[in-house]
Amino acid sequence: MNKGKFLAGLDAGHVNTKAVIMREQEILGYCTVPTGFDVVAAAQTALNDASDNAGISRGELGGIVATGIFNDMIKVPPLNATGTVPEYMADAKGALFLNKNSRTVIDVGGNIHKAVCYDQKGDLVDVVQNDKCADGLGIFYTTMAKALGLSEQEMTELALKSTKNLSIAIQCALSAESDAIDLMCQGTDIADVADAVSKFIAERVADMCTYMSLTKEIVVAGGLAKSQAIVKHLQSLIRQDVSVLTHPEYVGAIGAVIGYGGVK
Amino acid sequence: MSEYASINEQLDWKKAEVIAAGVDSGAVSSKAVILLDGQPYAFSQIRTRMPKESAFSAINGALAKTDLELKNIHYLVATGRGRTQVPFARETISEIACGAAGAVRIWGPSVRTVLDAGGESCKVIHCTEKGRATAFLWNDKCAAGIGRYMETFADLVQKEVHEIGNIALQSEQFPKLSDFCAVYAQSEALDSIRSEVPLEQVIAAYHYAMAKRISTLVARSGLKKDFVIIGGLAKNPGIIDWLESILNVSRLATKPEWDPTLTVALGAALFADTFYRRT
Repeated sequence: MNKGKFLAGLDAGHVNTKAVIMREQEILGYCTVPTGFDVVAAAQTALNDASDNAGISRGELGGIVATGIFNDMIKVPPLNATGTVPEYMADAKGALFLNKNSRTVIDVGGNIHKAVCYDQKGDLVDVVQNDKCADGLGIFYTTMAKALGLSEQEMTELALKSTKNLSIAIQCALSAESDAIDLMCQGTDIADVADAVSKFIAERVADMCTYMSLTKEIVVAGGLAKSQAIVKHLQSLIRQDVSVLTHPEYVGAIGAVIGYGGVK
Repeated sequence: MSEYASINEQLDWKKAEVIAAGVDSGAVSSKAVILLDGQPYAFSQIRTRMPKESAFSAINGALAKTDLELKNIHYLVATGRGRTQVPFARETISEIACGAAGAVRIWGPSVRTVLDAGGESCKVIHCTEKGRATAFLWNDKCAAGIGRYMETFADLVQKEVHEIGNIALQSEQFPKLSDFCAVYAQSEALDSIRSEVPLEQVIAAYHYAMAKRISTLVARSGLKKDFVIIGGLAKNPGIIDWLESILNVSRLATKPEWDPTLTVALGAALFADTFYRRT
């Protein structure tokens, strides 16, 4: 295989670091590791594992393109990224690449969530990000799954079975957690608690979306897009159809490679 | 938090006149204490999932160490946030009353102020020498979840929750984080990755912020000595040391024979003992 044709996209987030290996328009491998307060170490692990996943060696990589909140830390040694793409742009490019008809991506991550509107070329039209009180929704989701003794997938599946439509909190993850505990202590069914947690997250995201008009088609990305329960609530709250991208947590990493424009 | 069960082998329940038990159904962990004629006999602590099942697991964990069965227990009192979900309890008592009773039993009649720093809530309790609660102050909602957020924070920094309290004390200097809200503090801690603050300092900063948050509650309620700290956070040296220095007060040291997490369950068991003798 020809060295230099492979590019790695690296999305260094608050909670997780995501890497993809691409050749032209083709996704060959990917990997997610916890950022864990060491961006460089996490990036190295993610790149190595994604390369393994793609069946290539690190040496065959033609370059690294970084995005995400800590992309500036990938630009410098030891990783020396060949390029960086701003987060919003990476989201737009990645979402458009994964769904040609999409014009808005709602990205619900570990610590922050945002919505990005773009045109048919993937150029930015408008952007909105959560306010600080709504930080940490992804972390909250993981914490609640743990509190209920469930995996995140099990929590989603249970939430979809709920019929009660209970609500918790209106503002932040702290009061939502407190309210969820109260529900549990009243003997509420675990499925209804899981559903209330999912709805709370969808409400926070939907509130953010009211600050911008969402152009169709709307797609959802980020780790929390894997929760069908959250997506279901989000859809009914914003009263628009949304679809979940394939590889939702890799939209930024993929968009970095696409936005960079291939091997130069 | 760790899950465990233990027993005092020197006692024999068959000789006991009163077998009393307390179950504390907390937001993060469920605890059980069994007393034989007022003497501590069996204990357990497990992580709370759904409160009802966890209450069963907690008492069964303590019973499993003995050949006692639930039906041998003469009187059982439930306390804690999930106390109404304990179907085998004869009576329920608030965690405020139980916290005061348990603390005075452990530390003696000089205790006047008890800080119960748990997984979901923090409360300050004032009490008499007999362990009767006279006043209390509960955290406002913005200060909820400090205990559980400590576990979440440990996950984020990829450390064990029992390690970070000691790591927090290794730094003299550290950046200041928001001390109003755990969500803000957590988010600001994550942002500090960019400024390449050493991890020990981030951990120190987070602990300081949470100690500051708890200290406002204690200061607002007024503090009379002797002062003790119970609940899971009493085992976190980072929180405790800073709390003491911010408040400029020393707490009575933790008793080696008592896990401070069990104080409220002990209080419930003491009430059970009293109630049984009254019947």
